[in-house]
Amino acid sequence: MFKGGWFKLYALVYLTFLYAPIILLPLFAFNDATVIAFPLSGFTTHWFTEMLADPTLKQAVKNSLIIAVSSAVIATTLGIFASRASTRYEFPAKGGIMGLIMLPLVLPEIIVAVSLLVVLLGLGVNLSILTVILGHVLICTPFTIAILSSAFQSLDKSLEEAAYDLGETPASTFRLIILPLVMPGIISSLLISFTISLDEFIIAFFLAGTEPTLPVYIFSQFRFPSAVPVIMALGTILVCLSILLLTIAEIFRRRGIAKSGGKDTGGFL
Amino acid sequence: MTIEKPEMIEFRDVHKYYGDYHALRGITASIRAGEFFSLLGPSGCGKTTLLRTIAGFEGISSGAVLIDGKNMAGVPANKRPTNMVFQSYAIFPHLTVEENVGFGLRRDPRSKDEKTRAVAEALEMVGLKGYGKRAAHALSGGQRQRVALARALILKPKVLLLDEPLSALDKKIREQMQLELIRLQREVGITFVLVTHDQEEALVMSDRIAVMFEGEIAQLADPETLYRRPASRKVADFIGTMNFLPAKVVAEDANHTDVEVAGFGRMHLSKDQVMAGNGGEGASVGFRPETLTILFDGQQPTDRESMGTITEVVYYGDMTYYDVKLDGTEEPMRISMRNVFGRPVLDIGTRTRVAWSPGALVLFR
Repeated sequence: MFKGGWFKLYALVYLTFLYAPIILLPLFAFNDATVIAFPLSGFTTHWFTEMLADPTLKQAVKNSLIIAVSSAVIATTLGIFASRASTRYEFPAKGGIMGLIMLPLVLPEIIVAVSLLVVLLGLGVNLSILTVILGHVLICTPFTIAILSSAFQSLDKSLEEAAYDLGETPASTFRLIILPLVMPGIISSLLISFTISLDEFIIAFFLAGTEPTLPVYIFSQFRFPSAVPVIMALGTILVCLSILLLTIAEIFRRRGIAKSGGKDTGGFL
Repeated sequence: MTIEKPEMIEFRDVHKYYGDYHALRGITASIRAGEFFSLLGPSGCGKTTLLRTIAGFEGISSGAVLIDGKNMAGVPANKRPTNMVFQSYAIFPHLTVEENVGFGLRRDPRSKDEKTRAVAEALEMVGLKGYGKRAAHALSGGQRQRVALARALILKPKVLLLDEPLSALDKKIREQMQLELIRLQREVGITFVLVTHDQEEALVMSDRIAVMFEGEIAQLADPETLYRRPASRKVADFIGTMNFLPAKVVAEDANHTDVEVAGFGRMHLSKDQVMAGNGGEGASVGFRPETLTILFDGQQPTDRESMGTITEVVYYGDMTYYDVKLDGTEEPMRISMRNVFGRPVLDIGTRTRVAWSPGALVLFR
């Protein structure tokens, strides 16, 4: 139908622009030179060993993982409550309440970060991993609600009623029927909030205190040219990890759909 | 003489409001133990709401719902002796057929073997023997329906509630399932309460039917009474086809009413043919299409006879519907005739004799 030529060129340029910088990451991560420039001078795994030897980096990775996992779990749990409430029950000022919960989605993050900082300092709270988790839960929750609401929405109400009718309590119905059926949504939600938290910079920068997260560490290291190849090595690992994580999530999602017999309406991949 | 069975469900002046909307307006009725009972009405008449008050999914604003003599106020759905077959079947998609059917046995103290046997029996009862291991979402509509039935019946409820269970099926499978439901109900002897908007389905399946309009029961009777002696013009219109003609009451005593109908003359009607509820439009009489008969050459009427002209012919294979404008009437009457081998279908414009009997009609006033 299309003439093809121009569309193909457009697609090629688009994909190159999107992925070329990422392909450069492993290239320079294995390049035996401190300067990031062509031509490549030789193969080395030196940057990876150096990276693994850096205690500050290890600490940053650890902090980031703790923050990302906690934020994902807390935000998804809150998201489950909120989505369930908004899709199943009617309560006064529902629209307003849901709107306020979703607001951080569009609020400038720097404003959120600064306000949180001011409030926390005003309350005399010490900045730590906990304060970063707090901030990340705040920005992740709207995403989890967006994902989980659609999962809860597509659940036939009579499935719950059938379970009550067959003798189950509301709690056991939730466990036996609702939870398994929204599980793909929950996994998506965990994964997306994990990813958001992992690469979030502004809030982490403001609220981390003396416990930098990975993005904050990377930012601080970029001032030293000698550290750049190590960052490249780190980036390579992160990209591989993301691809792996996404693949696992997609496998779970497809398996969930096959199990419940639903139609595949698209996912991450 | 039929022996009156004890009451299984009793509604005592049940009202239900959704905000300002008055969904149930004083329902008082009882459903007998072991009967196949239908709630019939157009959408929005409150029939599903009423069914859901039995199941416990819907609270009531005032009045009482009793099941087997016990007031159900405050008894949640999972503690009621009722089970439901949902319109969407509500088969749990992540479980197998077996797990679906056995779902309600989770809290049953019986051993695993006994439960497995019970599930197998239930599946056999609904004609799904050997389907236990299948994934529930891989079943056809008719099979889902059977799984839903087995899942509800395995708990041996006092009452089985069916919310438009056949509306999603094709005509052929629907008719087959109707007969199967009747067989199943006789077999298990459980009280069935069916909600339907399909009058034919209700007539075929039910022992008794409650016809509902706008949150009220308009008539509660067995199918034959409902069809032959509808309590109001609205009921008559909803169930089957009825020809209505304006009538004038000319004389009346304690047991009889005399009416004058254009094209039919004066008729002497007994008390059981006279119904209230013409909707405040004076009086009218109603004829079912099969109570009028077109007389072919040489046939003699059993009662009375009029002349008319055929204005429309609709051929259904086994039946032909004729619209006949009788001499002296304004509107044509619909007459249904069974087609008989060797007898031709008449053409539009044919002059014909029509036999009828005053005993077959109903007067609404």
